Amino acid sequence: MAIFTIDDVEKTFKSGDVSEKILKGVDLALNEGEITALVGPSGSGKSTILTIAAGLQKATGGQVLFEGKDMTQMSQEEIRKIRSSEFGFVFQSSHLVPFLTVEDQLLLMLDVAETKLNKKQQKQEVSKVLDLVGMSHRKDAYPSSLSGGEKQRVAIARAIIHQPKMLFADEPTASLDSKRSKEVMEIIRNLTKTLKITTLMVTHDEEMLPYADRIVMMKDGLIE
Amino acid sequence: MQMAWKEVKKSKMKFLILGSIIFLVSFLTFIISGLANGLSEDNAALIKNVPNGQFYLNEDAKQTYNLSKIDVDQQDKLLADYNGATAMSIQMGFVNDTEDKQHSVAFVTSTDSELFPNVKDNEVVLDASLKDEGIKVGDILTNNQFSGEFKVVGFTEKQTYSHAPVAFISMKNYQEIYRVMEMQTVFIPGSDSPDSIKGLESFNNKEFLNTIPSYGAEQMSLNMIIWFLVVISGMLFAIFFYMMNVQKIGLYGILKAIGVKTISLFSMMWYQMLLITAVSLVLSVGLSQVFSMVAPAGMPFSLPLETSLLLSGVFLVIGFIGATISGFQIKKVEPLQAIQQGEM
Ligand SMILES: Nc1ncnc2c1ncn2[C@@H]1O[C@H](COP(=O)(O)OP(=O)(O)OP(=O)(O)O)[C@@H](O)[C@H]1O
Ligand SMILES: [Mg+2]
Repeated sequence: MAIFTIDDVEKTFKSGDVSEKILKGVDLALNEGEITALVGPSGSGKSTILTIAAGLQKATGGQVLFEGKDMTQMSQEEIRKIRSSEFGFVFQSSHLVPFLTVEDQLLLMLDVAETKLNKKQQKQEVSKVLDLVGMSHRKDAYPSSLSGGEKQRVAIARAIIHQPKMLFADEPTASLDSKRSKEVMEIIRNLTKTLKITTLMVTHDEEMLPYADRIVMMKDGLIE
Repeated sequence: MQMAWKEVKKSKMKFLILGSIIFLVSFLTFIISGLANGLSEDNAALIKNVPNGQFYLNEDAKQTYNLSKIDVDQQDKLLADYNGATAMSIQMGFVNDTEDKQHSVAFVTSTDSELFPNVKDNEVVLDASLKDEGIKVGDILTNNQFSGEFKVVGFTEKQTYSHAPVAFISMKNYQEIYRVMEMQTVFIPGSDSPDSIKGLESFNNKEFLNTIPSYGAEQMSLNMIIWFLVVISGMLFAIFFYMMNVQKIGLYGILKAIGVKTISLFSMMWYQMLLITAVSLVLSVGLSQVFSMVAPAGMPFSLPLETSLLLSGVFLVIGFIGATISGFQIKKVEPLQAIQQGEM
């Protein structure tokens, strides 16, 4: 069953008089609980379709259906609500909040997602998730004192702590060496499988492909 | 809110700098305001201590009390008609003390009144500041326009006029020194909407203060400095928060991407602004009150707590506006840009 459907999505960027059609009618259906890897040459539009799907930018044509509802017709506020409670994000950089400890980063996400947990439950949830990503021992550390791989693990924890339905990841391992990349991918795979999170992930790295359930190739603004 | 506080804790230096700038500017503003107020007291305590009412000057006097003469018959009628009305005159002059040292004073005389000490002929009541110049009760003072002598019978607190201590004398003595029968002005207390009186022009207390030469100009320049400082501090706020926000554009983008509301980002900034400003203002109000207690006696300085609190309120409002204006960038931040801008 497809929980998320991208239907004939187009995106045209205009700068001045020049307009360039980057996405030329992308169709893609994501099955619940599956990890879909999106691969393809640089500039083919992978990040663009991922951010449109994640509600971070608007398509110029087509539909994006999440649980049957068309996100292209929603208001900014409706999309924000979905992003905060139903989606999780991991990017090439971890983008952690510099002045919050690892634990506080996750508590913040629980607040933003408006989960109905009290303070104590929130803390329990945080320590549970930190265990899952193997970062419990650094819960009081600030991002500046973490290694790249550790940061990325915290970013993953932040992306899934509020138990979203969807996880969007754009080259989550690109800043990591091969060993760390594999660790991070293991974590992503284990978490999304246990929590039944549907994942769309862009990657350049062939070594990451075995972790996906499905591989989709993109070229020149189209799915092949 | 917690997030706002955690940032303050983590970036102590940044907020300490902002705080000390606000502290310094507000402290300077309080000090100047204390001086302005002190000078104004020094210049016109005599008039400022009078309850609200109307001062009537002769229409021909061109709004200068020095040139005003109220007809004696009209004066009698006004004093009879209005309860508490007082006719009075002020002239700058000198007295010589027992050692023949000259002291500049403002001679003030009035009809019997509760507002001013009632002085018998050949007696004088002086502002207490003359005590510091060695004059005591019982001293005999002279004036070269005056045939008799003044005996000092008492002192009053804080009665100054045109930066000179006031000397209250009887009407008869005054009329002799200045060779004039008429009084300059009639004061009628309490009338908010002044009765128009034929041949006379009315001034409320504030308007009358401005007829004092130098008072208006002096207060205007000082007030201008004060408002300048207030505006500058507003701009400092705006610039400082602007720079801080620019640094944080990426962060704001990420927070927006994960679904933080724009209004929460604004509240975070407001909370920080209020926290920093409140702490700085408490310090500078406190310190300026201490200063007002230890200020040297000769320094005209007067800073009532209400004035500091009022100015503090203005600072808070200005800071809020400054921070909010600079916060418009937050509104414009696109989450996507931030994500694409690599590691923070
Ligand atoms: N905001 C934008 N304005 C104009 N052009 C853009 C914008 N964003 C992306 N593009 C263009 O769209 C094309 C696709 O970009 P996109 O980032 O989706 O590629 P990608 O497949 O993710 O590439 P890579 O593998 O290098 O990350 C590129 O040619 C890029 O220059
Ligand atoms: Mg990309």
